[in-house]
Amino acid sequence: MKSFFRMTYPYILWIAVFIVAPMIMILLYALTKDGGNRTLIFRFTFENFTRFFSDPTFMRVLFTSLRIAFLTTVFCILIGYPAALFIANLSERAQTMMVLLLTLPMWINMLLKTYAWRGILMNFDNLESEVKVFIGMVYDFLPYMIIQIHTSIAKMDRELLTAAYDLGANRWKTFLKVTLPLSVPGIISGITLVFLPAVSSFVIPKLLGGGDYVLIGNLIETFFVTTGDWNFGSAISLVMALIIIASMWLTRKIDRNAKED
Amino acid sequence: MRKLIEFKNIVKSFDGQVVLKGVNLNIMENEFVTLLGPSGCGKTTLLRILGGFLEQDEGTVIFDGQCIDRVPPYKREINTVFQRYALFPHMNVYENIAFGLRIKKLGNDIISQKVNRMLSLVNLEGYGKRNVTQLSGGQQQRVAIARALVNEPSVLLLDEPLGALDLKLRKEMQRELKRIQQEVGITFIFVTHDQEEALTMSDKIVVMNAGEIEQIGTPLEIYNEPANAYVARFIGESNIVDGEMLTGTKVLFDDHEFDCRDYRMRPGEIVDVLIRPEDFTIVKPKDGVLKGEVKSVLFKGVHYEMMVETRTGVSKTVKMHVVTQHDMNNAATGEKISANDFYVDSEDLENKEMTDQDFISIANAQAWDEEYRDISLTHVTHNIENRPGVYSITFGTDKKTEITVKVYVVHPEYVEDARHNIGISALDFFITPDEIRESMAISTDLKTWASAEAWNLQDDSPVSITDVKFDFDPAEITEGSYDITFATRGRVYKVETTARLEAGDRVGLSFGPDDIHIMRKAVQET
Repeated sequence: MKSFFRMTYPYILWIAVFIVAPMIMILLYALTKDGGNRTLIFRFTFENFTRFFSDPTFMRVLFTSLRIAFLTTVFCILIGYPAALFIANLSERAQTMMVLLLTLPMWINMLLKTYAWRGILMNFDNLESEVKVFIGMVYDFLPYMIIQIHTSIAKMDRELLTAAYDLGANRWKTFLKVTLPLSVPGIISGITLVFLPAVSSFVIPKLLGGGDYVLIGNLIETFFVTTGDWNFGSAISLVMALIIIASMWLTRKIDRNAKED
Repeated sequence: MRKLIEFKNIVKSFDGQVVLKGVNLNIMENEFVTLLGPSGCGKTTLLRILGGFLEQDEGTVIFDGQCIDRVPPYKREINTVFQRYALFPHMNVYENIAFGLRIKKLGNDIISQKVNRMLSLVNLEGYGKRNVTQLSGGQQQRVAIARALVNEPSVLLLDEPLGALDLKLRKEMQRELKRIQQEVGITFIFVTHDQEEALTMSDKIVVMNAGEIEQIGTPLEIYNEPANAYVARFIGESNIVDGEMLTGTKVLFDDHEFDCRDYRMRPGEIVDVLIRPEDFTIVKPKDGVLKGEVKSVLFKGVHYEMMVETRTGVSKTVKMHVVTQHDMNNAATGEKISANDFYVDSEDLENKEMTDQDFISIANAQAWDEEYRDISLTHVTHNIENRPGVYSITFGTDKKTEITVKVYVVHPEYVEDARHNIGISALDFFITPDEIRESMAISTDLKTWASAEAWNLQDDSPVSITDVKFDFDPAEITEGSYDITFATRGRVYKVETTARLEAGDRVGLSFGPDDIHIMRKAVQET
């Protein structure tokens, strides 16, 4: 047992240096104020947070980010579920093929794909920035949703559907009472994989939204890279992280309650 | 009883393979019917067609006087207990059972009443809140039965539901199922490949084979009057031998005439004769209608199961020459070499291309150096011709260490039994006392050394040699010639008895006219 623990040392070190330390630094930056000329004054303050929450512009950005991430997730479920269901009903070979085709775009750099969309969407000037960003996000994140849902449907015992028909449920009722509840875990992990990157995305809004469309990711980027205000940037990151954690906790709780009922 | 279900000429094939070849079957109300057959006989397919999960290629299913070919499964008054139960993992026991009632949108109070009644019918009171994945196999089974029965179907289909349970639980569930069927009083259609299960529970057994029905009858009828050898073999242990009807009540088999009670067969008809192992009585050899020798005895708990041979098979006796090998020494190199004289069959020389390697292994030729390391034999020279006679063969190593032995080429001598179409052959052989002493499986080695083989005279297919008789002690073998007899199995009957006997005992077998069951030969498919 002792030697086993010794084997974990490299990982503990890795986590400490590359995950825990940066987190602490972000926390530290978020709770302190820049002393000017890149000096750090250790004076704890909630000023960064009050600044963020009291500024209507920032709040609007936060709200827009959550809204577009939410819409993206909902659309991914709406498009992804039927697609996943369709794929799961194909022959085993066709399923493998379809999953491969779905993952194919993932092999291409996201930046490249986004630039491609920028070229396409340039021809549609009358589209609002938000719609363009939305299209880009749904396109990019949809495969994650489909694959997660497909996996959960594919591993379901087909005999359960036969049993439901046998007990008097037609196709629609069988879907509602058997297939759908059993694929909830897939939907939940799909949500995790779509909502998280969507809410913090900054490349897609930057390239597809034009200069006027700012999401929380862009905001963080601006304060770190352009303004150089690491303290405020860290505070926004921290707020974002807390929101994400809270939303994940909420989805899992809903999932668990649904199971207990 | 009223006819409830009627299968009319049901044909079904999967990917060009015909699984059901025109099945006709009637099932009455309140019957416990078992579809019995080996896997792949089409029994589950027939059940799935009735459940509506599969559509037949041809034929019609009539249910309660109405054709239900176009009725989807969820509208049929039939429920199923599936092989792997197929309980819904996201619902507890109560909700699983309530599933069908919720679909019908019954009131909560009615649902609760019915579900609780079902829980007590299957002896699972108090299990309603349990998660189905935490139940044992037997409990899951009960939930599956309750879930189906709560819908008050007119027919319950059970697709090998006891297959996954262990023996003890299985017996218990057999009794349970029978009790439940009698209590609810509806038709149960039970699919199984277990003949004992079928005999225990059914009112009616349908024996199926390769997509066809072989026999329909009560357990007693199926057991006592099997329609053919297939059914007889499938139901219980049986001895089935070829026989010929002499008159309506006399049958010839095993070279004897016997009285029997069968009036269906024409004189001269070739039939299958069945005698159940438990119908034999063991008597003194002189009192038996058949006499034989006990070949093996197995203890089965209540009784002994023994094989009694009433007619010996074909046999061939050969000579085994045990000689001490004289190793050849090569003083110059320190190598040693040895080989045995051997017999070879002139027909083998002609038909099989005998290579040097073959000769090396027949002669058991080997060479080794001072440290007993094996040396390969690199040259073999001989003057063997395909004519009976004595020849010589020389084996040698790279360093010219050589040994020469005799080769006896002989005409093959078969023993043939034309009446039973069996031939056997074996050759005399030379062997050293060491090789006999070192043998791990003497009978098998004797067969190899003597090149003993037996075959069917009609189609040349191999027949196994079951008996190797010799009267020496392998551990105490000395030089000399010994007789070895190889024999095929003769007519062997399986006999169940409580008498304590040992292999080698001579016994008489006795049985009466009622114990002889005459069956029509199954029509061979072409």
